[in-house]
Amino acid sequence: MNVNFLNPFVEAANEVLMAEMNVSTSRGPLSLHKSALTTDDVTVLISLVDQLQGVVLYGLSYDTALKFVSLMMGQEFREFDNLAQSGIAELGNVITGRATIKLAEAGYRTNISPPTLVSGRGVQISTLDFPRLVVPLQTSLGDLTVHLAVREASPDTRGGNFIPLAVNGAGQ
Amino acid sequence: MATVLVVDDAEFLRVRISKMLVAEGYQVIEAENGAAAVEKYKAERPDVVLMDITMPEMDGLTALKNIRAFDPQAKVVMLTALGQESVVLEAVKSGARDFVVKPFNQERVLSALQKLLG
Repeated sequence: MNVNFLNPFVEAANEVLMAEMNVSTSRGPLSLHKSALTTDDVTVLISLVDQLQGVVLYGLSYDTALKFVSLMMGQEFREFDNLAQSGIAELGNVITGRATIKLAEAGYRTNISPPTLVSGRGVQISTLDFPRLVVPLQTSLGDLTVHLAVREASPDTRGGNFIPLAVNGAGQ
Repeated sequence: MATVLVVDDAEFLRVRISKMLVAEGYQVIEAENGAAAVEKYKAERPDVVLMDITMPEMDGLTALKNIRAFDPQAKVVMLTALGQESVVLEAVKSGARDFVVKPFNQERVLSALQKLLG
């Protein structure tokens, strides 16, 4: 996978967190994984289709998620209830949307699915034999980890998401 | 008092925008997808629509076209995470009166509404 595809997501996350919460990020070490992702407390999954195809996932702890939604809404959240879940899913949506603007500027037209949120540690999500680039973004409120498994689509596969996903295990 | 139909699949965003608009004196109705937005538009005839694009059941661009087919004077502002040039062009071609890219700033949304409401 072209590592340059990750940069728009990292830049977008930095810009969105700054705009929404006045929180800056610093980029942690980049790694490449072939094994299944084991979910953090909260994981947002968004599919990418068209000229770039695959999946982006954002992982964070409950504590960080609650701090994020509290700042975004301007009121304190103490439980990761439906409204808080919706806020974190929307955060993933906005980061990914902004990343697709940057990808389009680089010549890759990409569309995104509505977000799916997995709540609970320990669920395994595999992109099977397709590798994931992983980078933690460190903030003063905790880490937001970006997982990206994408590749350029060939003209005859642009209609769908070519990366299969397998999900195993119940969250805790 | 002007009525704004807020359309977004994210409850969090609907609540957040509604709080902002109510504090500014607007009346707010909500819809969670494009299909519900078309129904609510026909039933309640709001003054302005704030419309997301990426939504299940019916996306915002399709809902925009349906609302404009029902009411060619409908004032619809797209409020979306998708800001690629091709999406903006399609929205404008379909009759969107303004386009705000998320993350939005409160003043930008309020000024879009004020401009349309004269």
